[in-house]
Amino acid sequence: MKLHLVAALAVLSSTPALADMRVSIPFAAEIGGKAFSCSETYAGLGSTGAEVKAVDFRLFVSNAALVRKDGTLQPITLDQDGQWQTGSTALIDFEDASGGCTNGTKALNTTLRGIVPAGEYQGLSFTVGVPFEINHGDPTLAPAPLNTTAMFWNWQGGYKFVRIDMVPTDRKEDGPKGWFLHLGSTQCDAASKTESPKACKNGNRIDVQLDSFRPDGSTVVIDPAPVVAGADLRVNAPETSPGCMAFPKDPDCMTVMTKLGLPYMDVAAGPQALVSLR
Amino acid sequence: MRRLLQTAAASVWLAVAVHPAAAETFVWPLPAWMPPPVVPGDNAMTAAKVDLGRHLFYDARLSADGTVACVSCHVQERAFTDGRPTSVGIDGTTGHLNAPSLANAAYLPVLTWANPHMTTLEFQALVPLFGEAPVEMGGAGREVEIFARLAADPYYATAFAAAFPERPQPDLFTVTRALAAFQRSIVSVASPYDRFKYGGQSDALSEAAQRGEQLFFDHRLECYHCHSGIHFTNNLKTIRTSTGGGEAGYHNTGLHDPYPDAAPGLIEITGREADAGRFRTPSLRNVALTAPYMHDGSIPDLRGVLEHYARGGRAGSHPQKDGMIVGFEVSPREVDDLIAFLESLKDETLIHNPALADPWPEDHPARARRVMP
Repeated sequence: MKLHLVAALAVLSSTPALADMRVSIPFAAEIGGKAFSCSETYAGLGSTGAEVKAVDFRLFVSNAALVRKDGTLQPITLDQDGQWQTGSTALIDFEDASGGCTNGTKALNTTLRGIVPAGEYQGLSFTVGVPFEINHGDPTLAPAPLNTTAMFWNWQGGYKFVRIDMVPTDRKEDGPKGWFLHLGSTQCDAASKTESPKACKNGNRIDVQLDSFRPDGSTVVIDPAPVVAGADLRVNAPETSPGCMAFPKDPDCMTVMTKLGLPYMDVAAGPQALVSLR
Repeated sequence: MRRLLQTAAASVWLAVAVHPAAAETFVWPLPAWMPPPVVPGDNAMTAAKVDLGRHLFYDARLSADGTVACVSCHVQERAFTDGRPTSVGIDGTTGHLNAPSLANAAYLPVLTWANPHMTTLEFQALVPLFGEAPVEMGGAGREVEIFARLAADPYYATAFAAAFPERPQPDLFTVTRALAAFQRSIVSVASPYDRFKYGGQSDALSEAAQRGEQLFFDHRLECYHCHSGIHFTNNLKTIRTSTGGGEAGYHNTGLHDPYPDAAPGLIEITGREADAGRFRTPSLRNVALTAPYMHDGSIPDLRGVLEHYARGGRAGSHPQKDGMIVGFEVSPREVDDLIAFLESLKDETLIHNPALADPWPEDHPARARRVMP
């Protein structure tokens, strides 16, 4: 899959929008540095060098902002397109329902589109995840893309922020169905049984800072290979969900969450290794 | 007077059962002593919606591969449970929890075994439909295909329009609303015990069952502390509930120590150590039909359950074990009496009510590939 890598950047001609600048930030999905495709296989992954097919690759990003020269943040006002972007949240979708991506959608969404005041910017920041304020609503009433059932996580509370599903090509007949990386908030307590959660013990949102981002040429790369580098993708701890789904006490998550920049059980957060810039 | 009221209620029931779609407004098949359940503001009960929900409930085309319907884990003859220790979804995926009875689910302020966020049947329906940990009906990412499948069925073409005139197509909103409306109609308040207690029929219970009732409500056994009230559970909300969310009881009954990570209790969601092993108290109505027992189906029969409580829990030392699980001594005859009482909570009208039965013909695509327990 060839991604368009050009960052569209245009000064609008009409006033008073003269001072506005349109941004379209390209995202690329890769696995071990190789472009993601639903029909591709990827070798040398995880602690045992597993070969996998990838069957889903989607993530929510929110609260994107460009960084001004003085280091302050300029939030990007996202286009409200009725399909991929709502409020400050967007679903980035790299799977096209082909090949092994049987639970996918044909349509792709590989850019973040919006408007900022014209100016000079030298960095990008965003959150991987859905903001808490909209994460715990009723998905049957939510606008797109928050009605995407593949990203539902409501049995825990909220949405899956990241969904990257990998299936080892040499998996045993009775082995785990795959090694799925699902990230979402866990342990969300509520004050009473008639209210949405007040807070989640593990919000599990990834704050991303990309300092050398250039609006006219940078691409945001999402690659799970460094995140799962310490995990054996051919096995799954008994009685836990296949892969790492962020649930507490899952041995499959022990080496993984820290590389998403998140604390997990007694392992401290390390630098996030999922998102980089090119 | 009580007899009169009961007769009136019975005739209402009959009207609903015989002409399910005739009336626009839904009439609760309830006797006068039972207040109706609370209905969410965006999902008023109508006969058309309940009928649509019944068709959806029995339709395996709601699952990714057309093999699992709601009824695959909630069978009418078993008071809408499945007889298995833990439920099975598509591709033979086994879950970690025992399918709870749906009878009187409308009265529960919070659904499922141990998730405080499941406060409506509408929201809860998303779990079996789209859940992935574990997979049940496998619908995640398949909603367009599933709703198109439904829309192509001639019954649904008119039924969605009748139930949702403003929004006449299968989608996340209408499907979950209709399923919830049907489940709310699954009420069960016509057991021999109800006739004895509320209907003035003193001969509706055997003498053994009457002795069992006294034991059940006795301080020695403490059964009624959790299995209290009109549905024999300390989870209740009706239109007369004045305490907002209603009463919701969760308890650690000393079943395991520690509880396995796959089904750790309320702590899974709240993260509070005090919630380890705490599961919602199930109703005991129709309990004779809902074996095996406990949240994980780990006790095969009622005698085993009584033994468990008599011992004060299988894992006597769990630090979070409820203070009411103290153990007791009972004679074999007393156990027989208790079981006679529990069997008197069986409602034959629930399992034979045609308004709750499978509406699809045997060879219909809705059930052609449907797997039953």
